[in-house]
Amino acid sequence: MQPETTAGHAGRTLPEGQALLSVRGLKKVYKTDAGDIEAVRNLTFDLGRNELACLVGPSGSGKTTLLKCISGLLASTEGEVRLDGQKVTGPPKKMAVVFQEYGRSLFPWLRVADNVELPLKNAGVPKDERRKLVADALEAVGLAHVPKSYPWQLSGGMQQRVAIARAIAYQPEVLLMDEPFAAVDAQTRADLEDLIRRIHRDLGVTVLFVTHDIDESVYLGERVIILSSSPTVVQEDLVIDLPDVRDQLETRALPRFTELRHHVYEQIQRAKKGHRPEAALQK
Amino acid sequence: MRILKNTLYLVGLPILLLALWALATSGAPNFFVPTPATLATTFGEVWFDADRLLDDVLPSLGRLAAGVLAAIVLGVVLGLLVGMNRTLRALTEPVFEFFRALPPPVLVPVLMLLVGTNDAMKVAVIVSGCVWPVLLNTIEGVRSIDPVQNETSRSYGIHGLPRIRYQVLPSAAPTIMAGVRQCLSIGLILMVISEMFAASSGLGFTIVQFQRSFAIPEMWSGIVMLGLIGVALSFIFQSAERRVLRWYHGLKEVENAA
Repeated sequence: MQPETTAGHAGRTLPEGQALLSVRGLKKVYKTDAGDIEAVRNLTFDLGRNELACLVGPSGSGKTTLLKCISGLLASTEGEVRLDGQKVTGPPKKMAVVFQEYGRSLFPWLRVADNVELPLKNAGVPKDERRKLVADALEAVGLAHVPKSYPWQLSGGMQQRVAIARAIAYQPEVLLMDEPFAAVDAQTRADLEDLIRRIHRDLGVTVLFVTHDIDESVYLGERVIILSSSPTVVQEDLVIDLPDVRDQLETRALPRFTELRHHVYEQIQRAKKGHRPEAALQK
Repeated sequence: MRILKNTLYLVGLPILLLALWALATSGAPNFFVPTPATLATTFGEVWFDADRLLDDVLPSLGRLAAGVLAAIVLGVVLGLLVGMNRTLRALTEPVFEFFRALPPPVLVPVLMLLVGTNDAMKVAVIVSGCVWPVLLNTIEGVRSIDPVQNETSRSYGIHGLPRIRYQVLPSAAPTIMAGVRQCLSIGLILMVISEMFAASSGLGFTIVQFQRSFAIPEMWSGIVMLGLIGVALSFIFQSAERRVLRWYHGLKEVENAA
């Protein structure tokens, strides 16, 4: 497998040493009894420090597989992921994942604050520091008032906030989010989108946000990486040149927002119809 | 008012049964079935006796506690090991099903030969029967842990013992507790059975002695004693379960309401 296929149709890459997260020629084949399934074919892109990028693709385009490979939860078949120059072979300390299934990812036997605290406790963070990190994280997601509740006593949106608080209290350099808002209602989703923008700005954390929602990807991202249908390659790597300060009403009313949205929509439609960047077809 | 109502629910049926029993035994006296009054007097005479409590009741309860606790510890530890390892699970499950299917009383003669006719034998009998529900439930509880929870632990670098303590055990606790409940009732049965063979003290021994000497009301009082111990165990278990699984019952309530 030569990396020449990535030329011209890969995602944007940065010069050596500048990327915080770098994905090179990533391929994932699932071996099943019914034969091999190629979920991800060849993915290459870089994420710079403090970037907020969205990965968007048609359903079944291997987005979750890709995220699991990047987070070190799943071993890739070929290619590599590097975080800060270090090859990722298992979940790295500088990374936190927010899963789509908040109800299943939070531990129901722990209260809100204990859920947020557990990864820190496990990492051996001293108690005083832990308490401050937990309080700050809950404050940041607007949940300072319910530390003693159990997650299942809260609404879906609030539960996902707890999961986000747990992730940011862990002080990661990269925050990976796997369709985190797919299961919450539209109004809550808008609030959570703004929350992610704010956390990204205030904490300077690098965010890779996976979604199937085109509007969400354009509204949230500084950059949208459009994936092809499975087996997945990068269809297009698009810069979102919207103003930095985003507003649910005003930003979405901008003509440029509509243009970008149309563009991403068309690309996804093409991806669904099976269009693939030429380089990928040569495989 | 509410307390009164609950008390009525609690004692209503027992009172009715006692009344029926009194009525049934009020006619011609039956040698094998005492009247409630006779039984109550006998119960007091037989069991509110320091020697009896020290020589028979306490040793029995001690062996029961030792056997049940050992079975729980053994079952949970083995269950964690097997449940967390797919190969070990596939390898051991058929064997475990076989051992579980063996009725533990048949092991009593074997254990008597191997261990001797002592306390250790009786505890071994209790463990040999009680360990299975705990072990198999722990394996099942660990096996059925939500994969998202496992991925969460992994992604936050929670491995090994901390993972068992903070994630695996609490997550499997509802299933494990169901096993512990079965373990308690099996334990009581085996405590009595183990004392019916080659014993010189204990509740099972005492009841068999009474029966052989045709001390019928005394024998019945022993049976009542066993029933009371069973009820007490069940109450202790329930209050422990409520404490350990408070989150679980709350979660179920929320899920059922939705």
